[in-house]
Amino acid sequence: MRKRAPDDRRATLAHRIAGIGMLLAALDLAAAAWAAGPKLLPADQAFRLSARALDAKTLEIRFDVADGYYLYRDKLKFGVEPAAAGAGTPALPPGKVIEDEFFGRVATYRGPVVVRLPLAAGQPGGSVSLVVDSQGCADAGVCYPPQQQRLTLPLPPVGAGPSAPVDASPPKKTYFN
Amino acid sequence: MTLNQSRWLMVTAAVVALAAGAWVARTMLFVPSVSGQSAAALLGVALPDTDGKDQPLAQWTGKVLVVNFWATWCAPCREEMPMFVRLQREQEANGLQFVGIAVDQADKVRQFAGEIGLNYPALIGGYGAMELSKSLGNSLMALPFTVIVDRGGRVAHTQLGPLKEEQLTSIVKQLL
Repeated sequence: MRKRAPDDRRATLAHRIAGIGMLLAALDLAAAAWAAGPKLLPADQAFRLSARALDAKTLEIRFDVADGYYLYRDKLKFGVEPAAAGAGTPALPPGKVIEDEFFGRVATYRGPVVVRLPLAAGQPGGSVSLVVDSQGCADAGVCYPPQQQRLTLPLPPVGAGPSAPVDASPPKKTYFN
Repeated sequence: MTLNQSRWLMVTAAVVALAAGAWVARTMLFVPSVSGQSAAALLGVALPDTDGKDQPLAQWTGKVLVVNFWATWCAPCREEMPMFVRLQREQEANGLQFVGIAVDQADKVRQFAGEIGLNYPALIGGYGAMELSKSLGNSLMALPFTVIVDRGGRVAHTQLGPLKEEQLTSIVKQLL
């Protein structure tokens, strides 16, 4: 068998150091994750809001509720500015009714939720500000305060198709900013 | 590349990986890193009680203080509070003091306090209370969030989400 050159041995040592470093980093992460308990999302990522105008008289509002989170149906409120656009009664899906120890029978939403909001006097080619109130919780045992989000939506001209969906707030960069 | 160079590359990679791991752990996983720090920011606050009277938190300096941020619209908050009421009754003589800071309206707080026989102060904080909790490690600004302060005014424990009774009593026992 060939005798190892000193450089070879050093390379092996370097490999080992690198390996130990990686292992420590992984352990570090695992320990921190364990200490922090379940990883939770910020409210705007747990309850992603977007909306579009199907036509000048109809807004379609969508929540994508992340797995393990839920929104309360009775905490959803929708308004538009200017008020002259004439927001009507939103068509809310029934949701899932749960028996809450404190709040009694309450309807909740999980996964995607789509709500239609009629605008009696939406101007084709104009725009409206949509104001959405919501409140939800995580199954992990925390609740987020009621939040109000605002989106500016272009209303399509007569004969044009639905406008492109607008996100309530661009997801915040959490890695390198 | 010579072996020497590759060795340094790998050692550097290992160090970078270690540092990155630690950094990601701290920033991404919402690890509260305030334990052992002074709770001066919290103890320096005065908030109105349900009668509108300002209550400085500094009045409880020297006690083991459990400050619980909560709201009536938060089911997990309501769920853990009867346990706080019981521990307040049992441990008050030993120097344990609970203080609730409600991110809520005074009338709703008053009603719920009556329902559960709240025996510790319920202070009313608005959005400013959420900001205060954020400065104490509640980066998500979610509820319930609890800060345990030792007799010397240092943060002994912070917790986002409900506290289990065994966990709370074991932390408090060490501080009393």
